[in-house]
Amino acid sequence: MDSGYNNYNTSYGGSGGGGGGGGGFMPGEMNNSPSGGKGDYNNATLRPITIKQALDATQPYPEAGYQIDSAEAASVCFIGQVRNISSQSTNVTYKIDDGTGEIEVKQWIDSSSAASAGADSMETDEQAGKSAGSRSQPAVDGYAKVFGKLKSFGNKRFVGAHCVRAVTDINEVHVHLLEAAAVHLFFTKGPAVDGASGQGAGAGTGADASMGGVEDYNSGGRALPAMSPVARRVYNLLRTEPQSNEGLHAQLIAAKLSLPMPDVARAGDELLTAGVIFSTVDEQTWAILEY
Amino acid sequence: MSLQTPRVLPAHLHAFHPSSSTTSKHTVRILGTVSALRGDTATLTCGGAGDVTIILKPDSHLQMGKLVEVIGKVTDLNEGGIGIRLLGSTDLGDPADCDYKIYEQVVNATHKLKSIFYDSNE
Repeated sequence: MDSGYNNYNTSYGGSGGGGGGGGGFMPGEMNNSPSGGKGDYNNATLRPITIKQALDATQPYPEAGYQIDSAEAASVCFIGQVRNISSQSTNVTYKIDDGTGEIEVKQWIDSSSAASAGADSMETDEQAGKSAGSRSQPAVDGYAKVFGKLKSFGNKRFVGAHCVRAVTDINEVHVHLLEAAAVHLFFTKGPAVDGASGQGAGAGTGADASMGGVEDYNSGGRALPAMSPVARRVYNLLRTEPQSNEGLHAQLIAAKLSLPMPDVARAGDELLTAGVIFSTVDEQTWAILEY
Repeated sequence: MSLQTPRVLPAHLHAFHPSSSTTSKHTVRILGTVSALRGDTATLTCGGAGDVTIILKPDSHLQMGKLVEVIGKVTDLNEGGIGIRLLGSTDLGDPADCDYKIYEQVVNATHKLKSIFYDSNE
C-alpha cells in the first residue's frame, strides 16, 4: 500500500511541483487529484439519452467532458431513425433523428480489423461482424441504437460511435425513451424515495424506484426530501462516518468523496436549506440534524 | 429545432393544429395500425386511444393491417375534423409485436418532461 502511494507521489510530484513537501495533507491530495483524472477514464457509465439532450449537453470548460443535468455523460446511448448513411474511406457517417432532434454519428472504420482477418484480438469482433452483419446493419429509415461519446468539431456536435446497430423491435425504442426520462429524473430530482415515488412523472417511476433502492438502502428510516445525488452522498457520509459531535468539515467531506469543494459546498447548502444538517463550530462544519 | 416531431396520440392532435396559437409546430409523429385504406386517405387505429385519418401522398404505400409510424402535419380534413397529412412513414411490421400501452406511457412522459424531449415553444 505504502509503496503504491509513493509511486503516485513521485509521478504527481514531478508534474505538480509540490510532491515532496507536506505530510499531513498528502493523503487528501492523493485522493483528490489522481481520482479526478482516473474518473475520466474509469467512468464507463453508459447513459441513455435523447438526441435533444445530446445537443443541449454542456461543457463546464472547453475540452472538458460533456455534462447532462450537471452529471458527467462520458458514454451515451440513444435510439433514432437513420436519415442518411454516408460511407467514407475512414468512417461511416449516420444522420440520426429520434423526434427530439437530429445529430451526426461517425463510426470510424478500424482498418486493422478490416484488413487482417487473422489478427487474434480482432477475431471475435470479425466473426461477430460477419455473422451478424447483415442482420444488425442499420438501414436508412430504420431505427438504430447508437453507443458512443459526445464530440465536437468546430461548432458542430457529433457522436463518435463505438457501435451502431439496427433496432427491430419498436418496444425497444419506447423503453429507451422511458429510460432516458427515468435517468434524467434521477439526476435532477434524485432517486425516488418510497413515499414520493407516486409523484414521479408517470412513466419513470418503476425504474426510478428500483434505482433509488440501491442508493437509498443506508439512508435510514426517515424519508429524505428530493435532493441531488451529490447532496445525497454528502448526507450518507455524514451519517456513516465516525465523528465527534462537531460533525465533519467540508474539506474532509470533499477529500473523502473525492469531490471538488464547490460541489460539496453546493450540496451542503442544499442540505442546510432542506434542514437535514446543521452547521456546528463554523459554517463549513456540518452534522446531521437528528430529531 | 425545426426537426422535432413530438410523439402524440389522437387526443393531442388539436394542440398541434395550425389554428392553435400556443405552438408553431404542426409536425407530429404517431404510431398506429392501418385499419382502412381509401385511395387518398387511410385510417390509423391507435390502440385503445382512437383513430386518426391520414391524408396520403401519391407515392406513399401503407399496407393494410401493418403497424406504422407516421410523421406528418396536422391539418383540417375536407369532411371536417382534424387529420394528418403524411410526410413520411415507417413500416414496423406486425402490430401484435408492439405493446401500445408502452407507447402511451412514452407520449405521456415526453410531454411531462419537455426539457429533455422537445423545445417547449418556438
